[in-house]
Amino acid sequence: MLRRRLSFWDAFLIGALTVNALGVILPLALMLISAMKPTPEIFASPFALPKAWSLENFAKVWESGRFDLYFRNSIFITLGAEVLILAFSAMAGYALGRFRFGLNNLLYVVFLVGLLFPAKLVLVPLFIQLKQMGLLNSHLGLILVYAAGGIPAAVFILTGFFRSLPSDLDNAARIDGASEWQVFARVMLPLVRPQLAIVAIYTAIPIWNDFLLPLAFLQSPTLKTVPQGLSVFFGEFATDYGPLFAGLTLAALPLIILYLLLSEQFIKGLTAGATKG
Amino acid sequence: MRFQRNLWLVIFLAPALLLMLVFTILPAINALSFSLYSWTSFNREGFVGLENFRKLLSFPFRDAFVSAFSHNLLAFAGLMVIQNGLGLLLAYALWRQPPFFKFFRVTVFLPVILSLVVVGFLWLLFFDPLIGPLTKAANALGITSFAPLGDPKYALLTLILVNAWRWVGFPTLVFLAGLNSISEEYYEAARLDGATEGQVFRHVMLPLLAPAFTIIVILTFIGAMEWFELPYVMAGVSGNPGGATDTMGLMFYRLAFGAASESTSNVGVAAAISVVLFVIVGVGSALGSLYLRRREVEG
Amino acid sequence: MRMSLRTIGKVLAVGWAFLIAGMALAQPVTLSFWSWRVEDKEFYDDIAKQFEKQTGIKVVFTPYKNTEYNTIISSALAAGSGPDIIHTRAYGGLAQLADAGYLLPIDAKQVPNLNKFPSSLLSAARGFKDDTRKKIYGVPFATQSLGFFYNKDLLNRAGIKELPETWPEFKAALAKIKAAGIVPIANGPKDGISLEQIFGVVGPMFYGGTDYFRDVTTGKKTFVDDGFIKALEETAALKEFFPPNYAGIGYPEGRTLFTNGGAAFFVTGGFDIAFFRENNPKLNFGFMPAPPLTRGGRTYVSTFADGNYSINAKTKNPEAAIKFLNFLSTQEFGQQFTEKLAQASAVPGTKAKDPVLAEVIEQTGYYGTPYLTLVGFRYATPTGTELMRSGLQKMILGQATGRQVAEEMTKGVATWFKPFQR
Repeated sequence: MLRRRLSFWDAFLIGALTVNALGVILPLALMLISAMKPTPEIFASPFALPKAWSLENFAKVWESGRFDLYFRNSIFITLGAEVLILAFSAMAGYALGRFRFGLNNLLYVVFLVGLLFPAKLVLVPLFIQLKQMGLLNSHLGLILVYAAGGIPAAVFILTGFFRSLPSDLDNAARIDGASEWQVFARVMLPLVRPQLAIVAIYTAIPIWNDFLLPLAFLQSPTLKTVPQGLSVFFGEFATDYGPLFAGLTLAALPLIILYLLLSEQFIKGLTAGATKG
Repeated sequence: MRFQRNLWLVIFLAPALLLMLVFTILPAINALSFSLYSWTSFNREGFVGLENFRKLLSFPFRDAFVSAFSHNLLAFAGLMVIQNGLGLLLAYALWRQPPFFKFFRVTVFLPVILSLVVVGFLWLLFFDPLIGPLTKAANALGITSFAPLGDPKYALLTLILVNAWRWVGFPTLVFLAGLNSISEEYYEAARLDGATEGQVFRHVMLPLLAPAFTIIVILTFIGAMEWFELPYVMAGVSGNPGGATDTMGLMFYRLAFGAASESTSNVGVAAAISVVLFVIVGVGSALGSLYLRRREVEG
Repeated sequence: MRMSLRTIGKVLAVGWAFLIAGMALAQPVTLSFWSWRVEDKEFYDDIAKQFEKQTGIKVVFTPYKNTEYNTIISSALAAGSGPDIIHTRAYGGLAQLADAGYLLPIDAKQVPNLNKFPSSLLSAARGFKDDTRKKIYGVPFATQSLGFFYNKDLLNRAGIKELPETWPEFKAALAKIKAAGIVPIANGPKDGISLEQIFGVVGPMFYGGTDYFRDVTTGKKTFVDDGFIKALEETAALKEFFPPNYAGIGYPEGRTLFTNGGAAFFVTGGFDIAFFRENNPKLNFGFMPAPPLTRGGRTYVSTFADGNYSINAKTKNPEAAIKFLNFLSTQEFGQQFTEKLAQASAVPGTKAKDPVLAEVIEQTGYYGTPYLTLVGFRYATPTGTELMRSGLQKMILGQATGRQVAEEMTKGVATWFKPFQR
């Protein structure tokens, strides 16, 4: 394959990849340079590099946008939901993957049903239920909903991994007198650690990026998440384009940097549900 | 011994099941029952049977709903062709291990990690009729009136393109994983038979990519039916212009939580929409996954 | 002895009661107050200080983003929480909340100044059900009027020395401005908001203002009416004076364009005066109603109550809340409101410092007529507003005629508006 000559077809394919890569990079670069220009300059020369690189827009955003608070809220909610998802799905996946029992198939179906009803389809009943439970307008309520939403997919992925582990591992531990919990926590869990990372990314990114549930379930301004805060910000700065680009950059950049550092894990993680590892 | 094992099973399974029961299955059941009541704001009033469904399917909600549903279907079709078609092409290009493979792979997937809110607002600014760089470029090229987001003919297509921009990396890498899992022997055999590049692609790769295809089709279907965030951010809660980008998700949200400057809601009809969406997504993906299983067995 | 013991007991009990009452009094009451007026935060913080000085009651003002306020307030109220004082919308927006039982009805005994408000304004604070329509659920806070705001410098540059006095003259002036290379009207159709407002400015003189309003809200007429159809057509016909790329322009974009001196006219309400002044202090602008069809003919200014101050039915401090509403209905407050926010307070008889606002208030006094779709037809879905916006958008695209839109509006509104069902 490597010795093949560069055909027209190859050139076309590489061309397509290049165009696509430019299509991704240029808009993001444009966002970045626009964020460093004053608004009149964006009007006058949208494509040019800034005459003077300035962080003034970012300062404006940071002062009025309360982005530090939004970031803290998003991190807290995402981490909270992840802890529940990883702990509970690992336990459930272990039970489903390593034990044969009568209800095994039925439970598999239950988790499948969970996969079919994302929270945005049941927004109204969920809203009323959270209200009755006193969990409306609270991070805890959102964390529980996200956890419930992330668990089915996580269980499917992890069940598969647990099933693929050789069967003598846990049996050996049991013969040595380990309790079921010890078998799970000390023997099996360390073996699926890389898969746990994949599951974590798979479930965390949609939570981090979610907009609809915080919009409907969180009312206090101090509880808002990054995407929600961004939308508030766009309402307030409707005519001042510089800070708008800066706000977008601020919201996007942390995740982009994280992705560039851990792209392998991100790609594996986010396509986990569709490619079986 | 058996009892003890079952007790452990309960301990392992209970937390996950309990969470799902309370926050997924219970609301799903409630959603069904809610659609059978009349509502004033979020206060439940009398039982009205199928009245909300009748309302949804009669004037004036019917027209809006049919148009919204058709936009969901168009989005599905558009995303299948543009997003997944391009994804397949890029996957094939990547599979041939071009120079800068890693760079291309990282960039193609980059927008996938971005929030739809960020993506939506970013492109909204690019298309802005006053400052948008794209508007300026189009005007400079002699297109005197450039406002695809304001034109009912192009607004939906523009949203589909933005969606594809953000998500094309996903099908690309799923297809790439599928291509990589096909054993080298198949290609060797085909090449020894003197098959051309195109023939190998059509007769060897495409059939063996079937499982990846079905997954992508189902996910695209679900995503298109539940399409909400991008239209909400880029076209507003009523699907501007003039409902040209309205979707079932937007209509549901409008009726449940009210439009921007007028808080006239109809929670009953909103609940009916969510039940219809359930059925569409549930039946669609159930059929899809059955199909997938069968293909996998055959493969 | 027994007697005195009992007396001691009584004294103790009374003392105890006083002590508790005293503690309750000493405990400062705090009222929470939610709003969508992000831009008015400073003003309300100041009002809260004045009110606290008078009564010792604290008020905490929290504004939310305009487009998300309804979601936030309706979900908070449904959750049984929410603030003590709610900045509510008017007409249908308030009725929705009142009909759901979320708001505390008030009367002139509790807030005596209510008697001073004209009844047309108070109708903005009534419910829509048979019983809630008889009650009042808030103190109106502002009246808004729609019209043409014009950029004096741009008119000069286009050679227009005097404001046109008739509608034909006005359209000729727009053509002249366009020929001079200046955008005549900043509005665009994208979100439909501006189209409805243009209709509110241009429409009444074609459909016959307040008389038609009365007829259509009582069911004597429907929207399928020659005058109304003509009004729709005249509104849509203004598209030739919209900016380049106008399909992409909605209300916020149009406002940005006018504020930055990019267009000669902009149709909006007096509520944007403060925005213009703050974002472009150099903008030299004025206000005019749509000129009448013939010299000396009748024109109208569509006007409406912007919203109300209401009390949450679940408030723990109803007395304090009513005290605050009383404060918000005084001349003293109204005058500050008009002066500092550059908005026409709903309290009758306030004087504006801003010359343009004074002009708006004066013109409203002469020509005021209810803003048809907002005052009359926003009580249930599909609202007259939604139907008109999408109808006018279709007309601008050439996909519908005025008659078709009028028919669709009548049919749509008839699904919930009883006078149309006969």
